[in-house]
Order: sequence, then C-alpha cells, then structure tokens
Amino acid sequence: MPAPEVFIPTCAIECMDDKRRRFEAQVLPHLDAAHTFARWLAPAPADAEDVLQEAVLRAFRAFDSLRVSDAKAWLFAIVRNCHYTALKQRQRRAQVPLPEEHDIEDGPALIAGTPDPEQVTIRSDEARNLNELMRLLPAEFREVLVLRELEDLSYREIAEVTGAPIGTVMSRLARARRALREHYGAQLAGAPRAVP
Amino acid sequence: MAPNWQEPRVLCPEHLRVQAYFDGEVDAVSAAEIERHLERCAECRELHAQLQRTRQALKSELSYFRVPEPLAARIDRALDHAVSAERSGRSAGTPAPPSGARGPRAARWWPPRALSRPFWTGALSGVGVSALAAAACLVLWLPTLRTDPRIEGLLGAHLRSLMPDHLIDVVSSDRHTVKPWYAGHADVSPAVADFDAQGYTLVGGRADYLDHQRSAVIVYRHGPHIINVFTWAADRQALPAESTRSGYRLLCWRTGDLQYCAVSDTGWDELRDLSALIQALK
Repeated sequence: MPAPEVFIPTCAIECMDDKRRRFEAQVLPHLDAAHTFARWLAPAPADAEDVLQEAVLRAFRAFDSLRVSDAKAWLFAIVRNCHYTALKQRQRRAQVPLPEEHDIEDGPALIAGTPDPEQVTIRSDEARNLNELMRLLPAEFREVLVLRELEDLSYREIAEVTGAPIGTVMSRLARARRALREHYGAQLAGAPRAVP
Repeated sequence: MAPNWQEPRVLCPEHLRVQAYFDGEVDAVSAAEIERHLERCAECRELHAQLQRTRQALKSELSYFRVPEPLAARIDRALDHAVSAERSGRSAGTPAPPSGARGPRAARWWPPRALSRPFWTGALSGVGVSALAAAACLVLWLPTLRTDPRIEGLLGAHLRSLMPDHLIDVVSSDRHTVKPWYAGHADVSPAVADFDAQGYTLVGGRADYLDHQRSAVIVYRHGPHIINVFTWAADRQALPAESTRSGYRLLCWRTGDLQYCAVSDTGWDELRDLSALIQALK
C-alpha cells in the first residue's frame, strides 16, 4: 500500500474532526462570556464581533498544541490581545483620534491615560446608569470590574488574562471599585435611580 | 472636590485584605483574622458593605452580551475554513483568512472534499480516494508516530509567547535581575547568562505551565528570531533530543536534574550553539 511521506506530519481528517469537537466542547461554551468581555473592551459592537471572531480562530489554531486547563481565562487572554492589536491598527489608520485612544496606554500610563477629571465630572453627571458610567472609566478599571463582577474570574485568572501580577490586579480592582462608588455613590447607597 | 481616579486619602492598611476576603480569595485562617479586624474597624466594615452594594448593582445592571446568531454563524464558517486549511496541510504559521472574510463558504462538509484541493491534486495525481483513506488509517495505526505531548506543550507555549504582550514577564538583559525573579515565579532556578557577544541577546524571562509545573523560560533574541529556553525539573523519560513541529525546531537536553528545551524557528546550528553555551555555564 503506498503511503506517501507527506501524510505523516499532516493531521488526518478524523483527527481534525476530533480537534473541532474538542474545541467546541471546551472553548465554545465560553463564547457568550468572551463576547461580553469583547463588548466591554471595544465600544463599537462591530469591532467587538471582529475581535471575537479573530480570537476564536487564533484559539482554534493554537488549541491542539496546548493543554488547556482553564479554557475561559485562556480565551479571554486571546480576546484581549486581539482587541489591543485591532485597536492599534485602527488608530494607525485613523487620522482622527478615536474616543477610546486612552485605552491603548497600559499600567504606568494610567494617569496620563485618564480622561480629563473636569470632563469626567460633567460626563458622570450625565451618566444615567452604571453601564454608561462603566464606559467612562479608564480601560484598566473597566476590564478588572467586568472580569471580576460579571465574569466571576478569580484574581489568578484575571492576572492571567491581563498579564498583570496578582498584586496589581488587587490594587487596580480596589481603585476601580472606589472610582465607581465615588461617581455612583448615591445610586449605590440606595437612593432612587434615574430611569434610563 | 475634583474627582480623580487616584487614591483619595489614606486607607486602612487592611483594605486590600478585606477586599480579598470579600472576593473569597483568602484561606480559612486569614478569613478568621479579617473577620476579627472587621469587628474592630468601622472603616473596613463600611468598605465591606459598600463592596456588597457595588457587586449587587453591577450584577443586576451591567449588560451581558450574548453572541447574536449571525455572529455565531460567521464564527462557525470561519472555523470550517480553519479546519480545511489545517487539513490541507498548511501549518499554524499560515495567516488566517481575514476576519472580514464572510464568503459564501458552505457549512460543515462531509465526506471529505480534500481531493479537490490543489495541494492534493498535485501531490497525489493518479492516487485515488482509497489511497488517501488508507494513508489516513496508517497514521492512526502507527501510535509510535504520535508526538510526546510535552513537545506539543512546548510548541504551544512558544507560539503563545509570540502573541502580543506574552513574551516576557521580566524584561532585562541582566542575569542578576532575571535569575532571582524565577525564585517566586517558577519551580526551578535555571542557568541564566547573556550571550550577547556570541549573538544571543538575553531579553528577559517568563514563567509557563508545562508538564504540570511552573517552568522557567529564558528568552533570547538571535537576529530576528526569538528563542525560548524552557527549564523544568526533569522526570520520567527524556524528551527526544531534536524534533521539528510545524516548522519550529525543538532542541532538548538535560543538565543534572533539569530538563532544558530550546524552541525557535532558527536553524539547528544556532540552537546547538546556544545549547552549548548554556551547558558550559556552571
């Protein structure tokens, strides 16, 4: 029976099908969660959708060479990378700076990347609900809040996703929660909420 | 007061532990300590109550975005695409179909249409579907050809490290910075040195899970190539000294009770050079 050499390193048809099945069983259950995370990273729904699609593809290609123990955090990390890559590309192309430009700056640039405080006051008065206020927070804060409170990730998983040490995750989370309280204090304290 | 996202005032030094307690991230002993602290410290009691209110509000009000049906269909088609690309032998290094590609590609297809692909028609002209099936069977029949899962793990870790922001945890060309960093981050302490003079520049270190332990990864740059040198406690059988997966080369060796493996897309000579340099270290 002729067995050309070329077959050996190539994944056989059955094995690709098996990879697809394992991927669908282990990674795709987190698709809604990953989409939510992408939507909170990228303000435009279309951008978030492209990010998610690209992330799933990257995840699929890396899937068989990985022992994925925590598929959710792993997928989130890829989503986050795809988002920042896409954001950089959009910004390189765009002549007009995007409103989310401060998102691109990382940890040390937190202060510089923060929206002008004056502006935040005015805008946070206009923020009628938590969703709008969240959009006003610096990206580093929004991200840890979404990962912790909405997606129920542990500190270790958040550290994995954001690439920050656990200590940084803890202090960032504390500051993010404080920022939210200070700008949404009345509502959080139980005062009547404005109807959106 | 002008609002600012920065620290407003001096906080109780225990506030981060109170938060960790609230998030369920402390062990029973610490939890008992923090509960005692909460009884004494009014500020932290208030913090704890506020954390609860914040969580409640976020959980009940923040939008959760389910994947809309058209997007799910798009992703399914993209996966079909990726499956057929990998099936036809293109490796992981091939660029993805552009994310915007939403061509009228068919849904899942079966039986295989592999013969219609140019690669197969070129490589197998004259050989029928039966030969293809037989060869596929042969692959499944030869378990000896299956790669050590650790090799797959190494390659996966290497590929992941090449993704943006994944390469390096500690950035330094100074081995006195890189080596001590591993003490808190990996289970082993590898030999670290900068071989800049020989063309292998130490760029930093990273920790990766491999073979059920935290391996230390030393990252070198050689010309345009990144070389990841993984180190972990050696166990059971040795890895093959040289293997190639998807165009990447993996050179593995042991020094004492440490298993080393250098992974890169450079040539064998460069990997052997670097391996010799590392093995020459004490």
